Amino acid sequence: MKKALSLLAALSLMASFTACGTDKPADTPASTPDSQAEVESSTEESSETPPSGDKRELKVWAFTTEVPGMVTKYMELNPDFAAQYEMKESVIATTDGAYQPALDAALAGDEVDMYAAEAAFILKYSQGEAAKYAAPYEDLGIDVDAKIKEAEIAQYTVDIGTNPDGKVVGLGYQATGGAFIYRRSIAKDVFGTDDPAKIKEEVGPGWDKFFEAAAKLKEKGYGIVSGDGDIWHAIENSSDTGWVVDDKLHIDPKREEFLDLSKKLMDNDYHNDTQDWQEGWFADMAGTGKKGILGFFGPAWLINYTLKDNCGDTFGDWAVCEPPVGFFWGGTWVLGAKSSENKEAVGDIIEWITLDTSETGLQYMWANGTFAPNEDGTPGTKDCVASGVVMAKSDGKVDILGGQNMFDVFVPANQFANGKNLTPYDEDINTAWRDQVRQYTSGQKTRDAAIDDFKQAVSDKLAIDAE
Amino acid sequence: MSKTSYDEPKSAKGPAYYGYKAFQYIFLIFLAIMSLLPFVIMIINATRSRSQIESHAISLIPGKNLLVNWKVFNGKSFNVTTGFLNSVIVSTGATFCSVYFSTMTAFAIVAYDWKFKKPFFTFIMCVLMIPPQVTSIGMYQFMYSIGMTNKLLALIIPAVAAPATVFFMRQYMAGALPMEILQSARIDGAGEFRIYNQIALPMMKPAMATQAIFAFVSSWNNLFLPLILLTDKKKFTMPIMVSQLNGDIYKTEYGAVYLGLTLTVLPLFVIYFLLSKYIIAGVALGGVKE
Amino acid sequence: MKSAQSRIKSISNAKYGYLFIIPFVVVYLIFHLYPTIYTMVLGFTDCKGLNNTNWHLLKGNIFTNFQQILQNKSFQTSVKNTIVIWIMNFIPQISLAMLLTAWFTARRITVKGQGIFKVIFYMPNIITAATIAILFHALFSYPTGPVNDLLQRLNLRDGSYNFFISKPASKLIVAFIQFWTWYGYTMIILISGVLGISPDIYEAADIDGANGVQIFFKITIPNLKTILLYTLVTSLIGGLNMFDIPKLYLNGGPDNSTKTASVFIYEQAFSGKYLYNRASAASMLMFIVIAICSAILFYLMRDKDAAALAKLKKQERKAAAKRASTQTWR
Repeated sequence: MKKALSLLAALSLMASFTACGTDKPADTPASTPDSQAEVESSTEESSETPPSGDKRELKVWAFTTEVPGMVTKYMELNPDFAAQYEMKESVIATTDGAYQPALDAALAGDEVDMYAAEAAFILKYSQGEAAKYAAPYEDLGIDVDAKIKEAEIAQYTVDIGTNPDGKVVGLGYQATGGAFIYRRSIAKDVFGTDDPAKIKEEVGPGWDKFFEAAAKLKEKGYGIVSGDGDIWHAIENSSDTGWVVDDKLHIDPKREEFLDLSKKLMDNDYHNDTQDWQEGWFADMAGTGKKGILGFFGPAWLINYTLKDNCGDTFGDWAVCEPPVGFFWGGTWVLGAKSSENKEAVGDIIEWITLDTSETGLQYMWANGTFAPNEDGTPGTKDCVASGVVMAKSDGKVDILGGQNMFDVFVPANQFANGKNLTPYDEDINTAWRDQVRQYTSGQKTRDAAIDDFKQAVSDKLAIDAE
Repeated sequence: MSKTSYDEPKSAKGPAYYGYKAFQYIFLIFLAIMSLLPFVIMIINATRSRSQIESHAISLIPGKNLLVNWKVFNGKSFNVTTGFLNSVIVSTGATFCSVYFSTMTAFAIVAYDWKFKKPFFTFIMCVLMIPPQVTSIGMYQFMYSIGMTNKLLALIIPAVAAPATVFFMRQYMAGALPMEILQSARIDGAGEFRIYNQIALPMMKPAMATQAIFAFVSSWNNLFLPLILLTDKKKFTMPIMVSQLNGDIYKTEYGAVYLGLTLTVLPLFVIYFLLSKYIIAGVALGGVKE
Repeated sequence: MKSAQSRIKSISNAKYGYLFIIPFVVVYLIFHLYPTIYTMVLGFTDCKGLNNTNWHLLKGNIFTNFQQILQNKSFQTSVKNTIVIWIMNFIPQISLAMLLTAWFTARRITVKGQGIFKVIFYMPNIITAATIAILFHALFSYPTGPVNDLLQRLNLRDGSYNFFISKPASKLIVAFIQFWTWYGYTMIILISGVLGISPDIYEAADIDGANGVQIFFKITIPNLKTILLYTLVTSLIGGLNMFDIPKLYLNGGPDNSTKTASVFIYEQAFSGKYLYNRASAASMLMFIVIAICSAILFYLMRDKDAAALAKLKKQERKAAAKRASTQTWR
């Protein structure tokens, strides 16, 4: 028995060391399997898709259907391109942190041509440990520096998308300065007006005024926000420092204050205690939650991507005003993979999405609602975009906001989008933080315990120790 | 002899007996409801509209929104057919490998005398304990280095070595395989492989059926390894696809989520209710042994 | 039983013994043992970061990863959770499975329609765990899920209860899902065990006038020990590896309350910073825990078990000699 076991162990140990021996000198990560995989996939393509056998696959990875939708649109607009390529999209939501591990594995396996990254983790892909997979835009055939100047792309978008070698590897198409998006009918009922100029005086500036408004709303049986997540995004991205400073976990005082603000909302019953991106949160957008909710904090994309689909009967009952604190939230950056064999095609699409300022460019269509017009041909939802040139010639009047020109509010708000408080592991750290804050606000933990456990969780999970 | 023992219960059929029976059936029916209710809610909600579910998430009356939910669901990039086919390929392959080769290994232990037989069986008893999860990191690194990630084969071949199945088959075989028949086949000049394939295998059918079902189910339900090894959407198995239903792109439409869950489960229901006879029969037949 | 004939044959037979285990051994060595050892080795290296293939054995203290994992509060919590959730699910599971086994195999008071009940009870086990986790997530959702709806309609609660934020509730639900999916399986295994017990023993007991309860405790359970051991060990191993349900139900939350060791290992190795080395160390520690648990169980049950088996064999032999009917069973 023992003999047999030790023999087996010895054999496999030998095997493992010989394997290591072959692995290490190669140094470039697994060069042989790569070429194998390529051969493998090209044979598969030809054998599995005979009807469209001539078309090359563009593997697009994203966390929403937004970017794949753009690729589809690009193909519609460019039949020549569509004749050569077809898209194979992989859309995995960021909920539960599922997108990153899947994307990382795919990048390592050369299964990606083009991919999208969100503000919460873009730095990992543009500057962090996954930056090695991103191709500089110039390698995709884009005259990136000149185009950025020409299109007047917001500087923070460029900074975030620049890799440690100083090359641009990713750009966003949105500008994500935030506003307070509120229900006109509830505002009228409580404050006697729905004028954005007046409402901004009611809910801000500063959190003290915000809570005064919350108290007024409560008297009439309304909540001011849907859940703690709503104020979190305003707090997170109005803070001065990010989660990691000098490789140590740092809790910015503004972020720490979230504990108290969130507790205040909870204890005073100022919200419906929903979680963002969960059922109850969407219900509050449609006004079908426990009690009526005045509004949500968010950039223009929240209206475009979320509110529009979920507002139900409240369509047209919305307006935007300046938030109590300036903030930005999210944004999608588009990257091309270094290992892609279709760099030119990827470059064409990326340039169209991020740098084309013409009326047939993505950003113009995105900002003016012509990307996905309504069935009757009127403009669909609009969004703020990264190019100053495009913004200057765009019009932000939208029906969901009762005809308000939302750019009046969002353009000034974009100054708060700076990206200096982002870190590569924001998604993981935010999840741990929000989890602990929720433990504190629901009374299951003391404030100090929540902070300690948060530090512990980050250190356990990411090996980032607290200061 | 048997008569006397079966006389007893007849005389015992008093109120206590019926009370006991009633309790038994009420309890069993309660358990049955507990097992079925979540699926009933799931199927019914798959036909209801989002606002219906939001106002009352539980209902026994189906809604009329099945088509709408289907359209919403279909609009997402979620390919049920691909996932289902991949799962079928993996599970069938893994089940065949596991049952055929495990029975073969068990046969080697039971039917032949060889020097390391006892140590080998002890070894199997030991490695029975090693769960795939704790070795997953090495597994991933290994599969990655030989270029086997994103290959369904990577989930099938390892099933050839299924210690738990070997253990079960050996236990069964030790009681149910008559050596005399094997001997007489040998005297008739049958080769050892023929003896295994044509004599031993058919005799093991009941045990194999039971093991096949368990192997199929565990392979079908396996999430951990596929989640690690498969990144290509075309290769996703059902559980990975299902796990994505939790994402925010689907969250907005609860009816569609329930419909998605139902779709992943319906084929299983059908297969299960067709095979359930064999499960029960397999278990009953398994009882003849020892 | 073995005749002289087979002993003569055994020399040539030995060859086939080895031949028939070749597929098992080869695949085992390549796809199971090698990765196991690879994992073991990684625990002593600096292998971290996405798909790092350029790693080295640690210099200096080679147990650094193990020490870090042992001090890792989340790991400690995850091991505790794993055990607590397993116990919370296994005790009711095995009790219920035993009760159902007793009912379904009772020879005097038979249960009608037991085929249907068996089919229904086993059904949850056949359904993909991922589906079940997400289904239960939907069922318990807050503020407007089916369970909350039911509680309010039955006037058991005024407002909704947030199941997702309560640590005990989350643990309980995960344990319940485990229990709910597995009791049918355990029941089937136990029934097959009972049916495997020689009917002669029961006949002998009948003659002695033993009642149903006595028969169950004095005959069924002692004779079921091997199967019980099998169930216990497989359930323990399965339980210590619990992944799908806690991962997909609440992703290990809230506040790590449903984070099991497997979820922890997955998070360390396949997300965030890709700490393969630490995760490997954690894997190996789990492996040791599992090995110790199994060894203790085997040891505790072995002697009595062997004795029971010997007894059973003796009994069988006598039964085979058609003298069982006159044998008394104590």
